[in-house]
Amino acid sequence: MPIKVRIPTPLQKLTNGKAEVECLAKNVAELVDVLEKEYPGMRERLSEGGKIRRFINIYVNDDDIRFMNKEETGLKDGDNISIVPAIAGGCL
Amino acid sequence: MENSRASTTALKISRDDLQTILDHCTAAYPNEACGILAGRAGRVEKVYPMRNVRPSPVAYEMEAEEQLRVMKEIRQAGLWLVGIFHSHINSPAYPSGVDVEQAYWPGTLYPNYPEAVYVILSLRDQKNPDFKGYLIHDGTAETVLVTIE
Repeated sequence: MPIKVRIPTPLQKLTNGKAEVECLAKNVAELVDVLEKEYPGMRERLSEGGKIRRFINIYVNDDDIRFMNKEETGLKDGDNISIVPAIAGGCL
Repeated sequence: MENSRASTTALKISRDDLQTILDHCTAAYPNEACGILAGRAGRVEKVYPMRNVRPSPVAYEMEAEEQLRVMKEIRQAGLWLVGIFHSHINSPAYPSGVDVEQAYWPGTLYPNYPEAVYVILSLRDQKNPDFKGYLIHDGTAETVLVTIE
């Protein structure tokens, strides 16, 4: 069973409007590569220098990868990945 | 509380829900507070006070796992994310450059939550809190009316 990836609104331009895509990957870093291959432009949107960009939350089955192994977080068949922009701001 | 003088009504909110926002922001003072507004057809039906994981008088960031949980709960309830609120401590109820920048996907002008009304509550004068609503698009903030029902 493939991994399901929920695509946030700002990135749906790259997936031809699809809010959910499926793929296979063994970890989050590879997921970024696989998404880039299928939907060019994804890597730059998601990462910089091999690291997931600040203010981009990635969850594996509702768990934030920052509390797992970050880009090395392992994935398995049937996992649900959510990519969600952080809600943040400030007055400076 | 003084309200926006904009001409476009973008969000309706009850007095009780507005009080929930005020209570959450007041409790967090002197740090910024934040939260999500859920509803339908431009009407707030539920306020989600959220945890600020960068508590300070000049910044807020929602706790990531709580944010996901709340967004899923909203979806499962058949509601929409209609607004995002946060407080300003020493500045007016107007989006800062950082507020505007972080409403977009990093490095782009693709809005993260294009339908959301960004509600800012200023506690600069704690006896007279001021709140206003904005739609953030095209790199700017457009004032919109937040109506108390």
